[in-house]
Amino acid sequence: MDNVTKAKINLFAVLRNIEDLCELDKESKELVKNTKLSVSFNVPEVGCAVLIFKGGKCEFIPNESKAGLKLWFNSPEHFNKLMNGENTIPLFINVFKVGFLLKTFTKLAERLSYFLQPKSEDLFNDREFFEINTKLTAFTAFFALCQVGNSDSTGKKVAARMSNSIIACGIPGVLDVYIKVEDHIMTAYKGENKEAIAFMEFADIDFAHNMLSGKESSYAGLGSGKFKVKGVVGVLNEMSKLLNLVSVYLQ
Amino acid sequence: MMKLNTYTKSNELFRRALKVVPAGIYGHIGPAEGCAIPTSAFPLFMDHAKGSHFWDVDGNEFIDYMCAYGPNILGYNDPDVDAAAIAQAKKVNCASVAPELLVDFAELMVNTVDMADWAFFAKNGNDATQFATMIAKEKTHRSKLVLVNGFYHGVSPWCQNYGYSGVTDEDLVNNFYVDWNKPEQFERIVKEHPGEIAAFISTPYYHPAMGDSELPAEGYWLKIRKICDENGIVLIFDDVRCGFRLDIAGSDKHFGIKADLECFCKAIANGWNVSAICGTSEMKGAAENIMFTGSYWLSAIPFAAGIACINKMKENNTAASIKAKGIKLQTGLQDVAKSNGFKLKVSGEPAMWFMRLENDYPSAIMHQEWVAECVKRGIFFTSHHNCFINDAITEEDIKQTLDVADEAYKVVKSMHPDFQ
Repeated sequence: MDNVTKAKINLFAVLRNIEDLCELDKESKELVKNTKLSVSFNVPEVGCAVLIFKGGKCEFIPNESKAGLKLWFNSPEHFNKLMNGENTIPLFINVFKVGFLLKTFTKLAERLSYFLQPKSEDLFNDREFFEINTKLTAFTAFFALCQVGNSDSTGKKVAARMSNSIIACGIPGVLDVYIKVEDHIMTAYKGENKEAIAFMEFADIDFAHNMLSGKESSYAGLGSGKFKVKGVVGVLNEMSKLLNLVSVYLQ
Repeated sequence: MMKLNTYTKSNELFRRALKVVPAGIYGHIGPAEGCAIPTSAFPLFMDHAKGSHFWDVDGNEFIDYMCAYGPNILGYNDPDVDAAAIAQAKKVNCASVAPELLVDFAELMVNTVDMADWAFFAKNGNDATQFATMIAKEKTHRSKLVLVNGFYHGVSPWCQNYGYSGVTDEDLVNNFYVDWNKPEQFERIVKEHPGEIAAFISTPYYHPAMGDSELPAEGYWLKIRKICDENGIVLIFDDVRCGFRLDIAGSDKHFGIKADLECFCKAIANGWNVSAICGTSEMKGAAENIMFTGSYWLSAIPFAAGIACINKMKENNTAASIKAKGIKLQTGLQDVAKSNGFKLKVSGEPAMWFMRLENDYPSAIMHQEWVAECVKRGIFFTSHHNCFINDAITEEDIKQTLDVADEAYKVVKSMHPDFQ
């Protein structure tokens, strides 16, 4: 496990969830309903990403873009501390927007943590919480596995065995993600892709939740039919190795 | 429309298994590693077998073209092999001293396998490949191995790959990897690491999972042999899968060279559990120095079965017979595919061919659907692994297979109305 890959996961997978959080969670939606601001996160050795708050929604851009509030971190570790909830202040430009950082963004981060790192199992008895947790966890897993494949030393060796392909992953009627592998570099996108040649599908959100939280295994799911694969099995096989490595980073 | 299988008991058993067995059914025969796509099309538990057929716990009958992933070469429950095993079982199997059959079996291997001056017996193919690499390291006092990408030599950590569960990078630091049919890559590694390489280990030809098989290019093995000879590197043939299917005298002989160590398992005893490492006299001293043993390795029943199996394979010229049957079957499958507008690509040796559709490469989805439809109709293929022929396959089996294949292609076509 290395800090750069951890920071890439935090930036391009965990932070990315703010986009969906503002869609799925009523409280988060309310927080941003009047916000019109772009916030960039600049992390050395890791990259840049921008959260655009506009029209009551949030859009995540995984690279450099215009931003009204620019946050600079002095290292991957510095960024990781922020994402871990440690008392960390990034360098920022545009002091007039610091209120957003200290108030709205902090609350958004707390909401994200509330869903992704629930303090009690009882929270899962609430169906809405259960579904939001599962969707955000699924998005995190798929976006994170790309970072592991692109950055982690063992992950890169796994990605080196993956041929060019588009892999569709999803829960029917709930969420779709596809991963593009090109020259052993992996990129995740939300949505469907008609050119997918490998498919990984959870039968329903309940099984997805159980598998992503480690309560049920993919092997059991394959056997029972709750987890289905088809297409380029070799690539799917390697993806499962990357998902295993993701769990090391996210534990 | 043919009758389709149902798997009520299999599924019930699997639900029970999930509670007490990791993954329900683990390993290459389970639905996950075995790429049962979809699982609902495949049987999960067997009841009995005979010849080229097996029956599952729901009473469905299958013509089996996986042959237990290789061990079935003469036909399940071959009467001669089983008679030998049962006769030995009445005397003794596993005891505190060695059976006489150890000597008989070793002599038979030496007289059968062209390169063999001695034989050593274990249980699984991985025992054999593990021991072979240790012999090479003892012989050369070197630590590094060269393997061919896409390899499978068993499940010991050194046999797996980066990122695999339970395998650390440290388990793999002494491995180098080259591509198949690229002797120049091996040459380069040897030049870059003089005096470090203990062995080059490879299957006789390239038969990866989930990909086309590829025979050695002209001169390939001669070049590899030469590099090994010039640099004091031990050449290990992993004949676990091919062994006795291509040539009773060993696949190294089949491809025109002599290996230093050769590993056998699968077909050696028609399913009775034994593996073997054969070696040249130069390797014997190193083999003797190594502490390598197992509780069941000198069991007499599998020795009896192995002796009977090898003698029968010699008598029947099984390698030639299964090659001919394989060619007939595969030609028929290709013709049936063509008549339905598909193009079936067949690669590798006829006794253990890999097949896929050219029409949906690389996704293989239509091929997976076709395999599933065949399995539902009692023809057991897999879509991700080479298949196997056994010598009990009959003309009637082949005809039935082709009939099923034809209906299965028609079903697949109906699932893809836009297919041209």
